[in-house]
Amino acid sequence: MSKTLFNKVLVANRGEIAVRIMNGCRLLGIPTLAVYSTADKNAVHVRTADEAVEIGPPPPNESYLSIDKIIETAKKYNCDAIHPGYGFLAENPLLPEACEKAGIVFIGPSAEAMRLMGNKVESRIKMADAGVPLIPGMKSAGASIEEFRQAADKAGYPVLIKAAAGGGGKGMRVVKNPEDLQASVEAAKREAKNAFGDDTVYLEKYIEDPRHIEFQVLADNLGHTIHLFERECSIQRRHQKIIEETPSTALSDDVRKKMGEAAVNVTEAAGYRNAGTVEFLLDKNSNFYFLEMNTRLQVEHPITEMVTGVDLVVEQIRIAAGLEISEYVFNATQRGHAIECRIYAEDGENNFLPSSGDILYYEEPTGPGIRIDSGADGLSAIGVEYDPIIAKLITYAPNRELAISKMISALKDYKILGIKTSRKFMIEVLKHPEFIAGRTYTDFIERNMSDRNMNYEAEAELAAAVSSAAMMQSSKAVAVGNREVTPSPWQTIGPWEIGQRISK
Amino acid sequence: MINQFIYQNDVLETNTEVLANGYEITIGENKYHISRIADGKYDVELNGTKSTVCCVIKDNKSYIDIDGLLLELGIPSDDSSNAGGAAGLVGEKDKIFAPMPGKVVKLLVKDGEEVKAKQPMVIVEAMKMEHQVNSPSDGKVKKINFADGDQVDTETPIIELDIEE
Repeated sequence: MSKTLFNKVLVANRGEIAVRIMNGCRLLGIPTLAVYSTADKNAVHVRTADEAVEIGPPPPNESYLSIDKIIETAKKYNCDAIHPGYGFLAENPLLPEACEKAGIVFIGPSAEAMRLMGNKVESRIKMADAGVPLIPGMKSAGASIEEFRQAADKAGYPVLIKAAAGGGGKGMRVVKNPEDLQASVEAAKREAKNAFGDDTVYLEKYIEDPRHIEFQVLADNLGHTIHLFERECSIQRRHQKIIEETPSTALSDDVRKKMGEAAVNVTEAAGYRNAGTVEFLLDKNSNFYFLEMNTRLQVEHPITEMVTGVDLVVEQIRIAAGLEISEYVFNATQRGHAIECRIYAEDGENNFLPSSGDILYYEEPTGPGIRIDSGADGLSAIGVEYDPIIAKLITYAPNRELAISKMISALKDYKILGIKTSRKFMIEVLKHPEFIAGRTYTDFIERNMSDRNMNYEAEAELAAAVSSAAMMQSSKAVAVGNREVTPSPWQTIGPWEIGQRISK
Repeated sequence: MINQFIYQNDVLETNTEVLANGYEITIGENKYHISRIADGKYDVELNGTKSTVCCVIKDNKSYIDIDGLLLELGIPSDDSSNAGGAAGLVGEKDKIFAPMPGKVVKLLVKDGEEVKAKQPMVIVEAMKMEHQVNSPSDGKVKKINFADGDQVDTETPIIELDIEE
C-alpha cells in the first residue's frame, strides 16, 4: 500500500468545519485526530474523527485557542499536520510558527502571508502598490477620535469602522452621522478586543449599493496560482453572510475575467500559498475594490466545490504536502448554479438573537443536489461559548431558478426543534422578487426584509392543534413506560424467510 | 380532552378527540385531523389541505416547526406556584433583562437616573456579538443588579425601574 500524504492530521476546530475536513482527509486515506473541550464531549466532530482527545474546559482560550495544548497533543499522538479550519486559530500566524518549530506541517498559508493579509491596514498599502483598486479611507489605523473624525469627513458619510485584525463582521460598525462616530468607534474597539485580542480599528468610505463578491484562489509551492471563480455573498445580516451563491448574477464574462486576474494578482503579491479567498466590493457600475484576503478555507467554500467539482480540502492537503494542484483543477469551469444557506442558532423572527439549548428534533432533507455540512444532530446541544453555526445547507442545480426552488423546499424539510433558526426568514429572502431578479446588494435585508408580515395567528392555531396531538402521544408514552416508538414490522412479524412467513 | 396553550398574549384552547387513526382537534370553527407518522412528526389535514408538522414537548413548552417557521407555545402548568409559564411570556415594563445568557459589557445608566422609553440601557455580549438593550418604558432607575463584566442569565433583571402607571 502506498504511503498517505500525512501520517495523521489533527483538526484544530469543532462543528461542521471539523467534520468537513475529516471527510476530506478520509478521501486521501489519512487518519484524523479531533481535539475538543469538555463542552463538546459528545459532539459530532468528536464522533467523526478516528481518534479524539479532550484538551480543556469550554472557554476557547483554554482549549480551541490554546496553541500550546494543540501542538503538544499533535506531538503526543504522532500527528504530522494540523488543519485549523476557519475561525479560532485559522488566521493566527503564531500557529504556523509553532508548527514549524515543532516540525509539524500547517495546512494553510505561511505565517508571513497570514500576518500581511491579516493586518487589513498593511495589506491595503501593499495591494495598492501592486495596482489593485481600493476603497477610499484611512491609510493607517486611527489612534485618536480626531483622526477618525478627519478621515470620515474626508471620505464622506456614511463610513465604516473595521477591526484591523478582523473578519466575520466582528468589530465592524457603519456610521451614518458624525454624532454617532465616537460611540461606534468605542463599540468596534471593544468587539475587536474581545474577538481578536487587538482593538485596532480603521475607517473607510461605505459604498452604497455594493455587492460582496469574492474569488476562491489556490496556489501551490511549485509556482501555480489559479482562481476558481466567484462567490456572491451579498445577503448579510449584521455584516455577516447568511446566503451565498455562485455564479453571481452581476458579473459579465469580461468583469469576471478582470476580477479573477486581480485575485491572482493579490495572491501572488502576498506570496500566498494554499487556499485563500480574495474579497471585493462591486459597485453598480461594475467597478470593483479589493477588500481583504481571507487566509483560510471559507465557510461558504462548498458552493465553489459544487459548481467546479473541485474538492478544496483535498487540494489544501495536497498543497501542504508539497504536491502540485491536481491536474483536473486547472480545467475547472463553472457548471450549473449553487446556493448555500447558513443554519445558525439564532432567531430569524426576532433580530437574529442568538439561541441556545438542546436540539430536541433533527432531520436533514435529502435528494439529488442537496448537500449538508453539519456539525450537529439530534444529540447535540448548542451552547453560548462558540459561534452559533449549526450547519450549512447547499443546493446545486443546472440553473439559478432550480437551485432556488430546491433550496426553498430543502429549508422547509430541514427540521430542527429546540433552538431557533432563520430558515423561515431565508425562505422569504429566496422568494423575494428582488432576490429572484438578482438584485442582491449587501443591504438587501435592511432594504427588503424590514416590513415582513410576522403575524402567525393561523400558524399558532395549527401549532396548538399539533401540540394537542403531541400531548396525547406523550401521555400515551408515559403509560407504556416512556416508549413512544411503534415497533417496526420487522420486529413484530416473527420468524420469516424471503417469500414466506415461517409458521410456528 | 381540553388543552390550553399560550402564544404571545393569547390563550388557545383545543378540544381533542381520539379517532381510530389519529386525533380530531377542534379550535374554534376549525377541525384538524392529525396522525402521527414518526416520533415528533405529524400529518395534519384542515379543510382538505395537508401539511407535515414537527412537534416536541419539553418542560411545559411545545416546540413546533411549520415549513421552517419555529413556534413555541407555553403550556400552563396545573401547579399554581408555577403559573409563571404564562406570565413569563408577557413582557415586564419595569425590568430590563438580557435577551440571552451572556456578559454585561457596559452599563449605560446610573442608579437613580431618569430614563426614556427606547433609551439604550446596557450592552450585553453573547456568542461574540454585542447587543444593546433599550428601556421598555419611561421611568427612573431603581436598582442595578450587575456590574460591567458580570455574567448574566435571562432570569434576573439587569436593571429595575420605577415607572408611573
